[in-house]
Amino acid sequence: MKSRKTANIEPAAAEADKPEAQDGMGRTLTPRKTEVRLGREIQVRIGQQLRAMYDDVVNQGVPDHIADLVRRLSEQDDGAA
Amino acid sequence: MKLDPTIRDQVLATVPSLRAFAISLCGNIDRADDLVQETLLRALAHIDSFQPGTNMPAWLFTILRNLFRSEYRKRRREVEDADGRYADTLKSHPEQTGRVEFEEFRAALARLPSDQREALILVGASGFSYEDAANICGCAVGTIKSRVNRARTRLADLLAIDSVDDFGPDRATRAVLAGGRN
Repeated sequence: MKSRKTANIEPAAAEADKPEAQDGMGRTLTPRKTEVRLGREIQVRIGQQLRAMYDDVVNQGVPDHIADLVRRLSEQDDGAA
Repeated sequence: MKLDPTIRDQVLATVPSLRAFAISLCGNIDRADDLVQETLLRALAHIDSFQPGTNMPAWLFTILRNLFRSEYRKRRREVEDADGRYADTLKSHPEQTGRVEFEEFRAALARLPSDQREALILVGASGFSYEDAANICGCAVGTIKSRVNRARTRLADLLAIDSVDDFGPDRATRAVLAGGRN
């Protein structure tokens, strides 16, 4: 039964850094392997999606009006100093 | 004085990435291009304050971010409106990625707090080091690391259930995911 929208997943990177978690009785809690695996795979996927989205814009290159602006500004004697 | 062609080429080479960052901040492609233009006007007017040999992308990103914070943030509700408005701004998408999955990702990204989204994009997409990202955002390296970690955790939470089919889990895994905190 799905009572929550979110899942109990630790980020892969944090997993390695953290000291072992313990419960209230001082027993070490072992993270469920499926969760860790899924967490890592999701993190890899997040990285891929993020770069894909970003590169989508990067691959559009320099729009003409911006290239013109830079060339115009770089040619003019503006006494910027 | 004319601009050194080497510097000019460095500026031009940074523009595509600068636009991508601007779009992630503004959530609107037209305003992003205005912001990029303003950034370039300001940068080239103060090009003497750029030290040749230092990091041109980081310098331009810093100027753009400061401009955004000081001027554009007043219209913040448009950016912070998290219900996919940012996701709607980019109509095209890479063909290799499933459309639905990609839309879900952008919607989830739009739901992050802006400081977390910014840090994640600088480190995870623009490819800046934590140190450069900290300089661009004017905060400590540890703050950037923490924001990136929180952004990743939150995205994983937002995407976990929706993406389960992509990872082919069995019924038992589904049960864990659905009932993990009951």
